Amino acid sequence: MTRVRIWFALAGLALLVGLWMALTAPADALQGVWFRLFYVHVSSMWFGMLAFLVTAFASIAWLVRKTPKWDRLASASVESGVLFTGIGLVVGMIWGKAVWGVAWDWEDPRLASTAVMFFVYLGYLALRGAVSDPQAKARRSAVLGAIAAVQVPLVYFSVNLFRTLHQTQTVRPDGMTMSPEMRPAFFVNLLAFTLLYVALVQARIFVARAEEARGTTELAAGDAVVPPRLDEVHDV
Amino acid sequence: MSDDFVVFLVYAACYGSILGYAVYLHRRLRKTED
Repeated sequence: MTRVRIWFALAGLALLVGLWMALTAPADALQGVWFRLFYVHVSSMWFGMLAFLVTAFASIAWLVRKTPKWDRLASASVESGVLFTGIGLVVGMIWGKAVWGVAWDWEDPRLASTAVMFFVYLGYLALRGAVSDPQAKARRSAVLGAIAAVQVPLVYFSVNLFRTLHQTQTVRPDGMTMSPEMRPAFFVNLLAFTLLYVALVQARIFVARAEEARGTTELAAGDAVVPPRLDEVHDV
Repeated sequence: MSDDFVVFLVYAACYGSILGYAVYLHRRLRKTED
């Protein structure tokens, strides 16, 4: 637990420095101060997608090895991924409303594919909540976790495949389309989200391990429903 | 409300939701230990 606290302390410190650097970074020539939302939007979306790739890796590892640690990693990573993707979506909508004039456009492939990915992983969490048998829960979510990751490259490259409203990548193999004065704030925020992702996943795994040891895992959906006792039903 | 302040509020909301998730995990762990 001490190790997790150290990760959280480092992440908190990096987030505060990242916040200060983001809010004092130069304003964009066209977008003004709204461009400062870039630092949290891109960092959270990147780590959302990375979290889902980690889930896919852990899911495949569980299907091969059948060891509980891979199931814990897969589910812990999805929770962080859904949180980060949710943040990225909301920030993107606020940013879009300010600079595009619209918060959402279903005809934009990046926006639509990200929303679909977000809801698929919410479904992953719902699936885990609906199965009480640990083996069945691990198996079903591992299959979904492995298959659902095909969306990640689709979301990432959607801006290259279909050019509509959303801009293309800022970080490309041939360099960055970003002013050098803005880069330090971006790199510090990326570092902050890296530390945060590691801290949150470790903490979630710690909770899962503690609950398994105590046998206090959450009730699955429907577990609290008591079937009616027909012998107590009397004709009126 | 200035644009600068709205950007700050967006950051505050993001960090708040992350903090909320961390507190939720902490409370769940405490519940298991009790």
